[in-house]
Amino acid sequence: MNLDSARQAFIEEVAELLQTMEDALLTLEQNPADPESLNDVFRAMHTIKGTGGVFGYTPVVEFTHTVETLMDQVRSGQMMLTKPLIETLFECRDHTLALIDFIAADATGDAPLSPDLQRAGDALLARLGHVPPPTPTAVPVLNFDAPTYLPEANDLWMISLEFKADAFRHGMDPLSFLRYLSSLGDLVHVVTLLPLAFIDSEHFDPESCYLSFGIAFRSDADKRTIAGVFEFADEDCEIRILEPDSAHNRYVDLLEATPHDQINCMGDLLVSIGAITPFELVRALKIQEDSSQVLDGTEPAAKRRLGDILVEQGSIKSGVVEQAVKTQETARSKRQEDNRIIRVDAQRLGHLIDLVGELVTSSAAIRVMVKRAGIDNMNEVVDGVDYLVSEIRDNALQLRMVAIGESLSRFRRVVRDASQELGKLIDLVITGGETELDKTVVEKIIDPLTHLIRNAVDHGIEEPMVRQKADKLTTGTIHLNAYHDSGHIVIEIEDDGAGLDAARIRAKAEAKGLVKPDEVLTREEILRLIFAPGLSTKEQATSLSGRGVGMDVVRRNIEALRGTVELDSTLGVGTKITIILPLTLAIIEGFLVGAGRDQYVIPLSQVAECVEMTATATLKQHGEHYINLRGEVLPFIRLTDLFHNADWHRATNQRESLVVVRFGHHKMGLVVDTLLGELQTVIKPLGKLFERLRGVAGATILGTGDIALILDVAELAAIGQVPRHVAAKH
Amino acid sequence: MGQLVVSKQAARSGRDLNDEVTQYLTFSVADERLAMSITAVKEIIETPQVTRVPMTPDYIRGVINLRGNVVPVVDLGARLGRGALTLTKRSCIVLVEVQVGEEDRHVLGMLVDEVKNILDIPPQDVKPPPEFGSEIRTDFIEAMGRVEDIFVIILSVDHVLSVQELASLRHFTDDHVADVEH
Repeated sequence: MNLDSARQAFIEEVAELLQTMEDALLTLEQNPADPESLNDVFRAMHTIKGTGGVFGYTPVVEFTHTVETLMDQVRSGQMMLTKPLIETLFECRDHTLALIDFIAADATGDAPLSPDLQRAGDALLARLGHVPPPTPTAVPVLNFDAPTYLPEANDLWMISLEFKADAFRHGMDPLSFLRYLSSLGDLVHVVTLLPLAFIDSEHFDPESCYLSFGIAFRSDADKRTIAGVFEFADEDCEIRILEPDSAHNRYVDLLEATPHDQINCMGDLLVSIGAITPFELVRALKIQEDSSQVLDGTEPAAKRRLGDILVEQGSIKSGVVEQAVKTQETARSKRQEDNRIIRVDAQRLGHLIDLVGELVTSSAAIRVMVKRAGIDNMNEVVDGVDYLVSEIRDNALQLRMVAIGESLSRFRRVVRDASQELGKLIDLVITGGETELDKTVVEKIIDPLTHLIRNAVDHGIEEPMVRQKADKLTTGTIHLNAYHDSGHIVIEIEDDGAGLDAARIRAKAEAKGLVKPDEVLTREEILRLIFAPGLSTKEQATSLSGRGVGMDVVRRNIEALRGTVELDSTLGVGTKITIILPLTLAIIEGFLVGAGRDQYVIPLSQVAECVEMTATATLKQHGEHYINLRGEVLPFIRLTDLFHNADWHRATNQRESLVVVRFGHHKMGLVVDTLLGELQTVIKPLGKLFERLRGVAGATILGTGDIALILDVAELAAIGQVPRHVAAKH
Repeated sequence: MGQLVVSKQAARSGRDLNDEVTQYLTFSVADERLAMSITAVKEIIETPQVTRVPMTPDYIRGVINLRGNVVPVVDLGARLGRGALTLTKRSCIVLVEVQVGEEDRHVLGMLVDEVKNILDIPPQDVKPPPEFGSEIRTDFIEAMGRVEDIFVIILSVDHVLSVQELASLRHFTDDHVADVEH
C-alpha cells in the first residue's frame, strides 16, 4: 500500500469537503435552519476527522471532533446557529485547511504543530465553547489479562481484524485504527489474539505483525462508516465486520423497501443498503471467480452463489441474503439503464481534441487534393467525410464544455469575506450559471474575475452610511451575469456602487504621465485608462486591491484568451464591466480571405457581412479611411496597407471586397483582395516569439499545407486607431 | 541537396566516442562561412513555403508548417546585419531547439544560404572571439574555430536566437505601426 498516494488522496478529499462546507455555510448564512446544509457541514467535519484519524493526524482529529460535536448539537436543535457562530465556523473551515496544508507540506507527517497554528486552533475552540481536555484523548486500555471471549450481546458489532505479517512494514499501526474506531462509539471489549503456534523468541521477527483483534463495539454508525475506519488497511488486514441483530432487521426492511428500478445485482444491492462494504463485495466476487475456475474442470454446473460466500466470509447473516435474493428476483424484469456520468481525465480529452484538430486539417487536405486531381465522382464522398468531421469536432469540443455556474459561485465567499472586512453590505446575484464554455477557458478566467469582483467590492460599493446619504439602498448589489452571444461567451460584472470618476482618472493619468494634458480623449477612452499599467484611483491601498497592479493584468489575461474587456460607468450609479471570450481555444469557424500575397482567417463569428468595395464611396479624413455603407459611416483598414504585402502582379483595377467585422459594440471594415469562404480553423499558437505581436491571434494550417494567420479584429482596430491620435496632436 | 537529418542522438554518441572533439555544423550566410555547435541542431530541411508574419522586423522571415506545427523562421542574414537572404535552390532551414526561461524549450528555424558540412574541431583549435574587428555583434560570437588555417566564426545560438530578445523588439509595438499610414 502506498501511503503517499493515500495521503495525497486524503488531502484532495479534504479540499473537496471543505469546499462543500463553505458552500453550505454560505447557504446557512441566508437560511440558518436549512437541514441539508447543516448536514453538509457536519458530514464534512465528520469525514475529515475520520480519515485524519486513520493517518494519525491528531491535531486534525481533535479540532474537527469539537466542531463536529457542536454541529451535532446544532443539528439536533440543542444549540442555535447564530451569526457569530457561523462566522466562527467559517474560520474553523479555514483553520482546518491550514492544518491540512501544514500536513501536506510536512513530508514525514508527524512534525509537531507550529505554535501559531496551535494557538489559532485553541482560540477558535475556545470561541466554540470547548474547554480542551486536561488529559490527552482517552485511548482504550488494552487489557491482556481479560478473558479471551467476547461478550454475547445482540446490539453489538463484532469486528475481527487479522493483521498480516507485513502490516508494520507497510506503515500500519493497529492501535491507531482502534483509537479512531473508539471515536465512532464504545469499544465494549477488545481481545488481542496471538497466533496459536506462537513463534519462539528465536524466530520472532520484531518487524512482523502477529496481532489479531476481536472487538465488540457499540455504535449507531452504519457499516460503511465503520468499514471506512479500516479503509487504508484493506491490503494488510483481514477485516470482518458483523452487524448487530438490530441492524440485521433493518437491512431486511430496507431490502423490502428498495425501489425496483434501482436494483442491479446482488452485490450492489447489498452494498447500497449498507449491509456489506464495497471491499467485502470485491473480495467475495474474487472468491466466487476462483472457485468457479477450479470447479470448471470437474463439475462445470456448480458455480457458488455470492450470497453463500458472503455468509461464509462472515460479512453478513443469511437472513439478509434471503431477503436480498427475493428483492432481486422481483426487480430483475423491471431493470432499466440509468443515465450515467463518466469522469474523464482532462488530459485525455485534450489529446482527443488535438487529434480532431489534425483530422480537420487532413480532411481539408483531401478536399484540395481531390480538386486538383479533378476526380469529380469523389466529391460526394469528400462532402460526407467533411460533414462527419465537423460533427466529430463539435461533439469533441462539447465534451470539454462545462457550465460556468460552479466556478462563479465561489465568488460568494470572496464577496462575503471582503464585504465583512470592509464593513459593507453587499448582495451577490449570479445569473446565467448554466452557460457553458470550454473548461480550459474557465480555468483561466477565474483569476481576472476574482480581481474584478474584489475591485467592485472595494472601490465600487460604498459604505452603508454613504449609500444612505446618496438615497440608495444600504445593501449594494453586484450582479454577475453570463450568456452566449454569436460564438462568444459574455460575462458581465455590474455593481450599483460609486462608479468611476472620469475626471479623477484623467488627472491621475496625467500625473503619471500616461496622457498629455492637451490630448483629446473620449469619455470611453478615459475610462479605459484604468486598464493602463500603474493606475489606481483609490488614494489608499487596501488589503484587497488598489495597489495599481491588477487592471492591466486583468486586461492582459483576458486578451491572452483572445477575449476583450469593455467598461462602462456612470458616476454615482455604478460600473459595468463586460468580458467577451471565445467559447473555445481549440477550433473555431473561420472565414478565409486573401490579401496581397497571403491568406488570413477572420473568426466567422465576428464577420457581419461582405460587400463589394467601390472606390467612390470612400473618403479619407485625418489619415483614417471611412466608407459610406448604406448611410452609415464605417471606418476601414486595407490589410495590404497595414501589412505591407501588396501583390505587385495583381492588376490595380481589380475589385476588392470589404468584410464588415464586429467586435463588442463596434464595427469596422477590412478591405481584402479575395473572399475564399468558410473554413474550419484549428488554432495553432504562434508561440513565445510572437507574444507581443498584436493583431494576429494565432495561425492555422490550410488544406494545401500552407499557413494562414488568424486575425485579431479588436487589436487590428486598435492599431488602426493609432494614426488618429498622431493626427490629433498636429 | 537531399535532406540531411542530424539527430541529436547521433551528435551525442559522436561526442561520447571522442570526448575531446566537439562537432560543429558549418554553413554559409551572405558568402561567409559560419559554424555552430551541433548539439542544438534538431534537423535540417529544404526551405518550404514560408508564410510572412506582418508587422514584424525583417529578421523574422515568417512561419513554416513543420509536420503540423507552426514554427517561426529567423532570417540569419538579416539577424547578422547582412540584409535579408534571397532564396536559392541551396537555401536551407536549420531547425534549432533553444531554451526559453527555466524549462520551456522552443523550436526555431534558421534560414541560411547553404549548409556545408559537419566538422570536428579539437578544443585546442577553438579560440576566444576577438574583442573587435568583427562585423558581427560580439555577443553573437561564441568562439573562433581554426579549420585548416582558416578561422570560422562559431555562433552562440543562445544569443543569436534569444527568444526574449527576438520577441521584445520595438518593431512589435505601436511605434512601428504608427508610421504605417504615413
